[in-house]
Amino acid sequence: MVFKIAVCIKQVPDTNDIKWTENNTIQREGLESIINPFDVGAIELALKAKKLLTHTDVQAEVNAVTMGPLQAEEVLRTALAMGCDNAYLLSDKRFSAADTLATAYTLSCFISNILPDTKLIICGQQAIDGDTAQTPSSLAQKLNIAQATNITSLEEINNVYSIWSQETRGFSRVIKSGFPLMISTAINNSNIQPDINGYIKAQDSQITVFDASAINADFNKIGLKGSPTKVKKAFVPEIKRQTVLYENMQPAQCAEFIFEEIEKCRTDYD
Amino acid sequence: MTKTALVYIELNNSKIEKVCKEIVSKANELASDIEVNAVVIADKTTIRNSQQDLALLNVKKLFIIEDNIFDSYQCCLFSSVLSAFINKNKPDIFLMGATENGRELAPRTASALNIGLTADCTDISVDESFNLLATRPTYGGKMMATIISETRPNFATIRPGAFKIENTLVNNPEFVYIQPETAGHELLLEVLKCETKQQEEDWTCSDVIIAGGLGLKTKENFEKIYTLCSLINAKPAASRAAVELGWAPSEIQVGQTGNSVSPKLYIALGISGAMQHMTGITNADKIVAVNTDRQAPIMSASDIAIESDAAAVLQSMIEHSGSKQALL
Repeated sequence: MVFKIAVCIKQVPDTNDIKWTENNTIQREGLESIINPFDVGAIELALKAKKLLTHTDVQAEVNAVTMGPLQAEEVLRTALAMGCDNAYLLSDKRFSAADTLATAYTLSCFISNILPDTKLIICGQQAIDGDTAQTPSSLAQKLNIAQATNITSLEEINNVYSIWSQETRGFSRVIKSGFPLMISTAINNSNIQPDINGYIKAQDSQITVFDASAINADFNKIGLKGSPTKVKKAFVPEIKRQTVLYENMQPAQCAEFIFEEIEKCRTDYD
Repeated sequence: MTKTALVYIELNNSKIEKVCKEIVSKANELASDIEVNAVVIADKTTIRNSQQDLALLNVKKLFIIEDNIFDSYQCCLFSSVLSAFINKNKPDIFLMGATENGRELAPRTASALNIGLTADCTDISVDESFNLLATRPTYGGKMMATIISETRPNFATIRPGAFKIENTLVNNPEFVYIQPETAGHELLLEVLKCETKQQEEDWTCSDVIIAGGLGLKTKENFEKIYTLCSLINAKPAASRAAVELGWAPSEIQVGQTGNSVSPKLYIALGISGAMQHMTGITNADKIVAVNTDRQAPIMSASDIAIESDAAAVLQSMIEHSGSKQALL
């Protein structure tokens, strides 16, 4: 049996050009978009897993999936060019404005209905637009499978178990887990580059599009409707400090001034 | 009816994670009649070792879910125990630290409860209906977003360093022991090797922080910050730009993608003050900025803005620190 690996990727907007909709969510259409850098790390790990499995005579395939508008097909073509075997696009107006809970639910419907025998799911730890890091753990819970986050490398994998390195501020660990398993990776500087053959293959590949019905999703649990969190307001934070400006101060005088401030702060509080 | 907030207490080597104390402080300020409780999951030995620390928490009740199976943190296990507890306890608001463990435990727990979750908040408040207004930086710190949730409990994780620990009276919490249902949990990870990293001294709340940015012009100049800091007993910090240029390690980066700091005095030398940097220093009591560019954003966002050459100021401070040491 083929060892199925799923990589969840996200197309993220260029953060220099943000527009908001009337629902206070991001207006994604028409934005410059890139593949989330953490998801390139996920693709790198997935391809490594496939390679190591092939070495142990296990046939493996890497399936890339994304949820988004039709233009999100672009990141799937990139994933195919990098070496993923198949690409799936979850696109439906009803999916839009999903928070992390609704997104995780939608992805879980896709996995359990379309690729039910997936053994390994790899996600980027977080997306650079929202930075929440919530979808991977939520997805693992929805599928009721084991999970490990903050993964920095794959050490060993076979049909039965896998060994990973995990790096946090507090510890470095090596962990072992059987399958199914969800991994999220902290690698955000992967430099895998598609080669020319990859691009050619990606051009010719068929990308299957699934709507909510096709993945058997409950319409009340997807998109805006299935999202308990709402953006109440978005704003540029105001500065609350009353600034006193000193123009053209000589460095020595400035140094003296700062010493006085340090002294003041230390005597005030001690 | 009394409104309740529940705070998840994370223990690390039998010590309470600092962010949990920060959250307890803030939670008590949310409303005058709020009841703040806490919950901790650990094994017997850990609870015994941290008992004194736990007894100092400013909460009404501390729920202790104790079993030897909790001797090491396991996300799936802790999440199922926690979600079962939340289902029974039904707090109005549930808060957790956005530590590395918290950032996976919270979403798994929220998902199990099918409730909304707002990640990595830097500010929280409640409206008249006791809805949590959770504010967080988004888009790399370019914008702030205030998020509400339509499900209860209103659940948020809080960024370490976002709030100060107020030295309020101790509440002498009532310890309530809860029997967990831990039978047959199969989703455990096997830990083959674990090296705890040496916990560096927490510098983010030291009294004086001296931070450097691109305005220092060279790595050599930046490194003078270390010299000055050791002379006057301050802590060094860096802007993202300085870290990206390799002038400073990411551990001392301040801002949305780095650390939030809360010193009494924050001295910014040659830092322009992009929004993502400013989010990290909101809690500084006083900010003094030195920059040659009067138009730099930080020059209108500090308490004191000085138009001067940061590198020369730094050099001058080092040269004159000798005569100042008695005072400092």
